[in-house]
Amino acid sequence: MAEVVILTEGLVKRYGRARGLAGLDLEVRQGEVYGFLGPNGAGKTTTIRLLVDLLRPTAGQVSVLGLDPRRDGVALRRRVGYLAGDFVVDGRQSGRELLRFLGNLRGGVPPARIEELADRLDLDLGRRIKALSRGNRQKLGVVQAFMHAPELLILDEPTSGLDPFLQQEFQRMVGEASAAGQTIFMSSHVLSEVQQTAERVGIIREGRLVTVERVEALGERAVRHLELGFDRPVAAEEFTALPGVSDLRVDGPRLWCRLVGPPDALVKAAARHTVVDLLATEPDLEELFFDAYRHHDREEPSHAA
Amino acid sequence: MLRNVFTKTLWDTRRALLGWALAITAVAVMYAGFWPTVDTPAMQQALGNYPQGVLEAFNYHDLTSPAGYLASSVYGLLVPLLVAVLAIAYGTRAVAGEEEAGTLELLLAHPVGRTRLALARFAALAAALALVGVVLWLGMLAVAGPAELAGVTAAELAAATTQLVLFGACLGAVAFAVGAATGRKPLALGVSAGVAVLAYLANGVLPQVQGLAWSRELSPWHWYLGGEPLTNGLQAGDALLLLAVTLVLVAAGSWRFTRRDIAV
Repeated sequence: MAEVVILTEGLVKRYGRARGLAGLDLEVRQGEVYGFLGPNGAGKTTTIRLLVDLLRPTAGQVSVLGLDPRRDGVALRRRVGYLAGDFVVDGRQSGRELLRFLGNLRGGVPPARIEELADRLDLDLGRRIKALSRGNRQKLGVVQAFMHAPELLILDEPTSGLDPFLQQEFQRMVGEASAAGQTIFMSSHVLSEVQQTAERVGIIREGRLVTVERVEALGERAVRHLELGFDRPVAAEEFTALPGVSDLRVDGPRLWCRLVGPPDALVKAAARHTVVDLLATEPDLEELFFDAYRHHDREEPSHAA
Repeated sequence: MLRNVFTKTLWDTRRALLGWALAITAVAVMYAGFWPTVDTPAMQQALGNYPQGVLEAFNYHDLTSPAGYLASSVYGLLVPLLVAVLAIAYGTRAVAGEEEAGTLELLLAHPVGRTRLALARFAALAAALALVGVVLWLGMLAVAGPAELAGVTAAELAAATTQLVLFGACLGAVAFAVGAATGRKPLALGVSAGVAVLAYLANGVLPQVQGLAWSRELSPWHWYLGGEPLTNGLQAGDALLLLAVTLVLVAAGSWRFTRRDIAV
């Protein structure tokens, strides 16, 4: 079995207010792409900030790359690339100036490497940062996290603010890093963001890890809401019995339903008619979590036994 | 200039710093240039009519000699006030200001220890004040001849300027320490400004109250000018006291900084 890169045991973080972590057990293995999924406020950012020693745990154990973030923080962060959820930098400098400085803090990053990454993301390094759009600032954040080819990348909602084309480029970068043996730990509150790249997904809710699954398994359980339009009225009976379909409603030539799992059977049934319109919502995370919760509850008695 | 946190901090503030150094020097040189006007019988008589207490409250002790005039006007009020504002601004920004702005987090996610970061930031503050001191000293040297500041030597100007820089560092250290310990910018600003005002009152105003003369001994303003460095040269005891208080504050603030959470 591959080496464990991130390990937390019973990690607790209490703030003055309620939010925090309530005993998080996390295990991320070397070379994998791990998606850390949860609704806003679930504790994703808190976990990530504990991993890089911006926060100190109230209780429990953390180990990253075999090191204690508190004691060996400097040695540890040398081997880590970090992108904060809200990447903020002083706007009075150019992107090039910032990246060169950050590279120097890491003992120097070849300028050619910085330029190459910036080109890939179509980022102009010569402009002052305050003149950049939010998406372009986010690109700077991605570049600074990747530029020194760290063993471990810790990315908090990395694709927020990036347009779809750049999200794909980012996913290619993640794929390449993973192929090169780098480990990627990235958080998101949208399943589709991690679905493309992650192998395993951990779901956190209210400061606890609810479940860890292979991403395909999660996709199979994902709940979508579909809306189809036909060129003439259709009969509800044709669709009600299809696998995964529920909450079906037909109104003349339009059809709405809830779908769990692959849409194959529904698509084939619909193809008997002329489909003029097809809308599918993003898999709903809350429904997924609700499902994960039930899953978790089902497992619990077997643990106790 | 992009090599480390210390040089980067100075580099980022280069324009503002240059502006401060020139402005402070311009104020000092202007005041010094008034000496020939003050040194007239009519002016001396006018000043003599003011109650002693009022003059003391404004740090006006002796306006009959060039050294006394400089200590009262240039080094006594406006210049140290500007230096204090500059130092407090740097000290507040050093940790708490950047933490509240969210820009500190990126640095701390790099292989830079917290102690190192804090000390580099304070070192930048000290270097900025030293630069202001050098520019001010050069300005005063340049104006000494034309303004007929007879008897005030380069060494005495250097002594007063050194103590001025240490005075600034001491107040900057208050802002730095409170900010590093708490991460709260308004608190750092408030406490350090409060200390500056109290120190001023304890030096010039409170000692006029019967039985409060001792308060002067606790005031950084007194440690700065009380020994009259413009007349007597560098006051090693006062300078060391300012330095010691500064170092204790910096150490305490940095220590606390390594033991707390960084704000979002």
